[in-house]
Amino acid sequence: MDVFTLAIWIATAVLLGFSFYKDKEKTISALKKALSMGRGMALSIFGVIFAIGLILAIIPPETIADIVGKQNVLVATVAAAAFGTVTLIPAFIAFPLIGTLAGAGVGIMPSVAFLTTLTMVGVVTFPLEKKQFGTKFTIVRNGLSFIFAIVIALMMGVIL
Amino acid sequence: MTNSKTNATPSSKTNATPNSKTNAMIKWVKNNMFICIVILIYVFLMAIAPKISLHGIKNSGYYIKEMFMIMPVIFVLTALLDTWIPKETIMKVLGKESKRKGVIFSFILGSVSAGPIYAAFPLCGMLLNKGASIRNIVIILSSWAVVKIPMLLNEAKFLGTKFMALRWLLTISAILIFSWVMAQIIKEDDMVVQRRDNKKGLYINRDACMGCSICSKLYSEVFNMENKKASVIHQIEMDYEKLKHAIKSCPVSAIEYHD
Repeated sequence: MDVFTLAIWIATAVLLGFSFYKDKEKTISALKKALSMGRGMALSIFGVIFAIGLILAIIPPETIADIVGKQNVLVATVAAAAFGTVTLIPAFIAFPLIGTLAGAGVGIMPSVAFLTTLTMVGVVTFPLEKKQFGTKFTIVRNGLSFIFAIVIALMMGVIL
Repeated sequence: MTNSKTNATPSSKTNATPNSKTNAMIKWVKNNMFICIVILIYVFLMAIAPKISLHGIKNSGYYIKEMFMIMPVIFVLTALLDTWIPKETIMKVLGKESKRKGVIFSFILGSVSAGPIYAAFPLCGMLLNKGASIRNIVIILSSWAVVKIPMLLNEAKFLGTKFMALRWLLTISAILIFSWVMAQIIKEDDMVVQRRDNKKGLYINRDACMGCSICSKLYSEVFNMENKKASVIHQIEMDYEKLKHAIKSCPVSAIEYHD
């Protein structure tokens, strides 16, 4: 557990204690709300998680790096960005991977594009996001994030 | 899912014939289409390529751990903030009038967060319901995803400080620009939290409803669960105290009533 996750747990625990002290009934109903929120999202989250697991089993990150590495820079950038949208990869796997990707001569652009869409754009999380914010919001947010991921990648390639 | 209106037919849950049971099952599958498809693919792969299927389950293990580490606390935090922070405060700090301060606050909120982007969904949904602007919600979501501090430290370690700093700067600028663009494209009516001031009577926003069934438990004479979403059975001679309680208890504020 990293420091920030721990900090959120501690802050929430303190807040919960304070809330209990101030109004017991309100706190209990808040906890019930939290539970029902969790129940409402649980199945969708498990769906997302198992879909990610499956995608990573079918196309392992190493394969992605391999495919992307063989293209020219522009194609590779768009392809890397596209691969990044499909799934979510934890940072501790993504960064070493991008390190090798950049080292293997793929260049910075595809690596950055991959890194940005990896976390910001989510095809697997689409159903969850849609449920919370509506279809139009979800499409526009993911679409714009994708475009800007490529713009960021191109600019980094030019500057570095 | 769209063909059943909110002012629906009388409840059918009392007489649970085998037929209604299969109907309920079909409805359940319809509402949980995504996970059903995922399970089916797993089963299919188990038959033809068990190695991939097992590998997928093993991969999922990490994400499940990650989820349990953050989601319970996010739900509790969201519910607590929802209970104690008044709408006016959220509107002042993150609303349309918050201007530059709201933008900065949103960046900070997203950056000190933890967990994957979907952990931000319930929290942002709550903030949106309480009057945060679309621009600020986009900033929180995006910075939650890419500019998290633990992630930046990791990035500096593997790719160098210069790389990290430059990417951070460019990403922040990009988020500033596209959050503004989004606020121009997306209007409040596009969001699931729609204001229905001109409509009379009881209304359930079925896009917002997440099927927690609290309303149907609190006031089963009026609310019924249908297709895993709440619906109104009938609305004559309502107990307004009970109704008010049910409306207040909805975690996503999907129930509205207008005289």
